Amino acid sequence: METPEQIKARLEAALPSAKIDVVTNDCAAGERSLLVDAASGLAVARFLRDDAQLKLDYCSNVTGIDWPDKELTEKIKVKQIVDGVEKEVEEVKKTLRPGFLEVVYHLYSMELKHGPVVLRLRTGNRADQTHVPSLTPLWRGAEFQEREVYDLYGVMFDGHPDLRRILMWDEFEGFPMRRDYIAPDDFEYEPTPHDEVLEAAKKHYPTEVKA
Amino acid sequence: MIEAGLKNELQKQGVYVTTLEDLYNWGRANSVWPLTFGLACCAIEMMAASMARFDLARFGAEVFRPSPRQADLMIVAGTVTKKMAPLVVRIYNQMPEPKYVIAMGACAISGGPFKQGYNVLKGVDRYLPVDVAIPGCPPRPEALIHAIMTLQEKILNQKLTGPDRARHLNADVPGEFLVPAYGKQDLEPSKNTEVWQPPAIQR
Amino acid sequence: MLVEAILMTTTDHNYLVLPMLMVAAVGFALTPLAAAWAWAHFFSPAKPGKDKNAIYECGLEAKGDAWIHFRSEYYLYGIIFLVFDVETIFLLPFAVAFTGLSVGAFVAMIIFLLLLVEGLVWAWRKGILNWH
Repeated sequence: METPEQIKARLEAALPSAKIDVVTNDCAAGERSLLVDAASGLAVARFLRDDAQLKLDYCSNVTGIDWPDKELTEKIKVKQIVDGVEKEVEEVKKTLRPGFLEVVYHLYSMELKHGPVVLRLRTGNRADQTHVPSLTPLWRGAEFQEREVYDLYGVMFDGHPDLRRILMWDEFEGFPMRRDYIAPDDFEYEPTPHDEVLEAAKKHYPTEVKA
Repeated sequence: MIEAGLKNELQKQGVYVTTLEDLYNWGRANSVWPLTFGLACCAIEMMAASMARFDLARFGAEVFRPSPRQADLMIVAGTVTKKMAPLVVRIYNQMPEPKYVIAMGACAISGGPFKQGYNVLKGVDRYLPVDVAIPGCPPRPEALIHAIMTLQEKILNQKLTGPDRARHLNADVPGEFLVPAYGKQDLEPSKNTEVWQPPAIQR
Repeated sequence: MLVEAILMTTTDHNYLVLPMLMVAAVGFALTPLAAAWAWAHFFSPAKPGKDKNAIYECGLEAKGDAWIHFRSEYYLYGIIFLVFDVETIFLLPFAVAFTGLSVGAFVAMIIFLLLLVEGLVWAWRKGILNWH
């Protein structure tokens, strides 16, 4: 199968308006993925499905990821004049990476027996720009998984035929798999609390827990 | 009432006596019909228990009924999610008296590995009066058989009269329990305080 | 005394034992039922409730009305099914007895088939076979 770089080159030739990046991965498998801007996501996905060399006719998995706001620290060397002498001083540069939500599709080809090609779509932020195009019109099997991502992460899929909650009840408010979701405080005593449970235990049974 | 010692002595002489209470409880205990009802992996063990190898039929509990109207025993086999909890309570309410509940597995007892999660009920005893709880994840079929034997023992010791008589013979004990409603974050109420109170620590 | 009386009567009436056995059999069947009914009626307090008296028993609450309209196409569809069904029932003996049939019977059967086919053609042209 083609490498992500080759797919990217062909995609850029076919769809000049699409912004495509190859996301590297530091893990042992080192599986790289294609990051596509949300606006051209549907066109890129259609190309991947219909292209004669790829024929990615099977969407095996749809995953959501929540990336909260994060402060990135970077050490850079800056030339400064200290006591009249020019020196290289290390400075810590802090940048705030705004948070976003990400949807990951794992695509395979049943016909050509290859895969996976990993496709990532990102939303603008985590609050009001949470829209990405739905790929259910292309792969019918993505319907329930996209509903699950909507249910737990709050990603709005434009063009989804039936975007409702699937695991949580309809009256539920909030998106429980987001990292800043706080579950209702319904602590029940445990003899060996730890981590967050320990914090809750201290709050509910202040005389019992000594840690 | 006949004294236990006298009863034994008579039995040695070949005279068998019984009371209406014993006869009634004997009949009840040996025909506990469970509800066909599984929620998660524990249900697989429940099925295994009813199959030939473990043979729940030896205890008169093999007739799994597909309708709550015909069942005596609800085996809560598996994880009770908050979305499922109102349905479980409603099915329990639809069972005729007398009715018993076995909480099977860690999830049904306390929420198990999902106890700190956002969508799993922290034990079915928050809404239903559980008679027997089986620990295990999942419990083996022998454990379920043991639970049914424990329940049989409990039924055999039921009283027909008096203030501590069996639940179904007491008009003051409710036969239906509150069905929780879906709330914005949690079930409302998150526990039925008539059935369940938070555990008090005893030192 | 009673047994003696019964024995006396049975010698007089040879078939009296039959209704006696029948009464005993029915009694054997009904006595436990009657005892169960009496127990439930006199000792077990009834505990009816909203959920217990609900019609639907899958844990969900029933939604909507049971008295809903069926589209008229549904009934026409059923009638067309019946046409094929009845046709098959008549065609099978027709095929079995085909060689032994007189010309008159053959013509009668053909007319019957033509009538059915005409009905089918009519239904087809009305568009009943298309599912909406």
